[in-house]
Amino acid sequence: MNHRHQWMVFLATAVALLFIPGGVMAQTVVKVGNILPLSGPSASVGLQNKQAQDMAIEEINSAGGIKSLGGAKIQMFYADSESKPEKGVAEAERFINTEKVNVLTGCWNSAVSYPVSAVAERYGIPFIVPVSVADKITEQGFKNVFRIAAKDSWWTRDQFAFLKDIEKEFNVKIATLAFVYENGDWGKGFAEGWKKLAQQGGYKVVLDEPYPSTATDLSPVVQKIKRANPDVLFLTSNAADAILLTNTMAEYKVKPKAIIASGGGHADPSFMKAAGKNAKYLFDIVEWETDVNKPGAKEINEKFKKLYGYNLAGESVDAYVAMYVMADALERAKSSDPKAIREALVQTKLNKGPAMIVGYDAIEFDSSGQNKHAALVMVQVNDIGKGMERITVWPKVSRRANYKPVFPTP
Amino acid sequence: MLFILEDTINGILMGSIYGLAALGLTLIFGVLKVINFAHGSLLMVGMYVAYWAVILTGMHPYLVLVIVVPIMFVFGYLLQDILIKPIFKAEKDVREPITVIIVTTGVWYILDNLSLLVFGPQYRNIQGNPLQGKMLEFGDMMISVPKLWGFCAAIITAALVYLFLQKTRMGRAVRATSLDREAASLQGINQYKIYNVTFGIGTAVAGVAGTALVPFFNIFPSVGVLFDIKCFIIVVLGGLGSIGGALLGGMIVGVIESVGPQFMTATWTEAIVYGLFLVFLFLKPSGLFGVKYDW
Repeated sequence: MNHRHQWMVFLATAVALLFIPGGVMAQTVVKVGNILPLSGPSASVGLQNKQAQDMAIEEINSAGGIKSLGGAKIQMFYADSESKPEKGVAEAERFINTEKVNVLTGCWNSAVSYPVSAVAERYGIPFIVPVSVADKITEQGFKNVFRIAAKDSWWTRDQFAFLKDIEKEFNVKIATLAFVYENGDWGKGFAEGWKKLAQQGGYKVVLDEPYPSTATDLSPVVQKIKRANPDVLFLTSNAADAILLTNTMAEYKVKPKAIIASGGGHADPSFMKAAGKNAKYLFDIVEWETDVNKPGAKEINEKFKKLYGYNLAGESVDAYVAMYVMADALERAKSSDPKAIREALVQTKLNKGPAMIVGYDAIEFDSSGQNKHAALVMVQVNDIGKGMERITVWPKVSRRANYKPVFPTP
Repeated sequence: MLFILEDTINGILMGSIYGLAALGLTLIFGVLKVINFAHGSLLMVGMYVAYWAVILTGMHPYLVLVIVVPIMFVFGYLLQDILIKPIFKAEKDVREPITVIIVTTGVWYILDNLSLLVFGPQYRNIQGNPLQGKMLEFGDMMISVPKLWGFCAAIITAALVYLFLQKTRMGRAVRATSLDREAASLQGINQYKIYNVTFGIGTAVAGVAGTALVPFFNIFPSVGVLFDIKCFIIVVLGGLGSIGGALLGGMIVGVIESVGPQFMTATWTEAIVYGLFLVFLFLKPSGLFGVKYDW
């Protein structure tokens, strides 16, 4: 018995000796803490984000990791926020104090990212936010928060920028606008932005109409649109009301020169099915569309679809791109020290590589940490021989090759 | 002023469909003295049955009533017989059995989530049905054809239910039970059978309402919730248990919703409808046609 015990000690020592030099010489690992809603109400979008980021990290690591750190691999730690701010904060603390992560990322929900940004700031850990869009996240004067996606107020800004551009392109003068939106925080927030921008742009607002998202009959609202007779109609709708509005407008033959929607219900896959040909010529603003005319976009989407069985959506693209922004910063930081990574992130000027599947041409952060080039794309719903589909039309650099938008609506 | 006429007509048409949806609720309340919280879900089930009947058989959206009505009647009959009757029996000494209300709430959740599980969350409608998007045009005035069909369906259904209650032996038994179930039982009426039949008819009427909505409305698992609250308001406006009251109450709500937005934003009309609801509760809790004294 005693004899055997000695043998085991010897063996253990031998094994330990074998591994210690390996441990010392192994490439350093960069630890990334990622907080996402992996259960609860936002679980499905949280999972989409995770899958896109898994794919990016796998690509970065198998391409040799971070070369300036001797091929260091990125190690991702996931935590589930359940969409709860307090859970997100607790996990961020744990990541920083226990796991000693070098970078934080997440948290999808603006409500979670907002308090987590304060934790990151306190410990001086760079926090890369792919998609939480609430304006306030980058407006706290923090030095460690970096956001990839366009913020809330930029959606309305881009809708008007698109309108200006398309007016010029087709030489059509737009004078009157109508705003119709669901009566929630989201719709009302958009409407406020629209009103300001309409005033600046010199447009006349002929209708400003919130409606309850639970309405069972939207023909009164459609009648109001018809009687106001606007050149362009702006919409913010959830799915059920988006379908009902679109179909009812077709019944009453309401045909403004253009309808510009705000994603949400209009971007829901069942919208296209249930509205059918009534959705033809509708413009809708989104973060990204699968047909974006950028090199690599198609291949990366194909790869993602093969792995997970569905197309990349705008939010997953931002999540994917965020990992490349991080890798780029690590490469330039030549260190896994959070301070050095933060300095490198500030200097970011990424204009090549897989990250450039976005609809714009470079990623740079302004002094608040907001990606200042982040833009959205405008799609038009049209049938060009393959059934109704969403075709990217704006900005012009990302427009689908050989597609000419239909404006004004015939 | 033409537009007021146009909106009033739209309001009456849409409102009659609300009334049709509320008819089943008022009928079930009148007899069972139980507020059926699952009524919106029954409407939802009716919509799905009508939807699949049209998709699978390719029939005219109103011809499928020959399938929808029997299926929904049997569904309602069995639902009452299997799920609700035991609770009634357990609480037979209570005049308004509260537990039954809780059971119907459970039925609501189960049905909504079951359809979410089976049919998925997506919004459906019947593309290319002969009524979809059809409009009658009189100069500038436009009237929706599917809503006009719904209006006719509401009037005919209400008339048939009325005739059934007034003229048939079973109808008289239903009315007797609704007046006084003890006395009815003493006359040899099997009250539980009457409950089953009434619940079946109420569910079948919800099926008719669902069929009327299918040609122009979206079908999704929680669609019943949109109509549920409206139905309660209508039933209180018209008077609990009153058939004509349900139709008239529906039309009042429809006209407010349709004409109101021309003078204010659409969100305010909801406030007016709820306000009216409160006024009725304060001043005339029995509604337009309800009886003042309960038996």
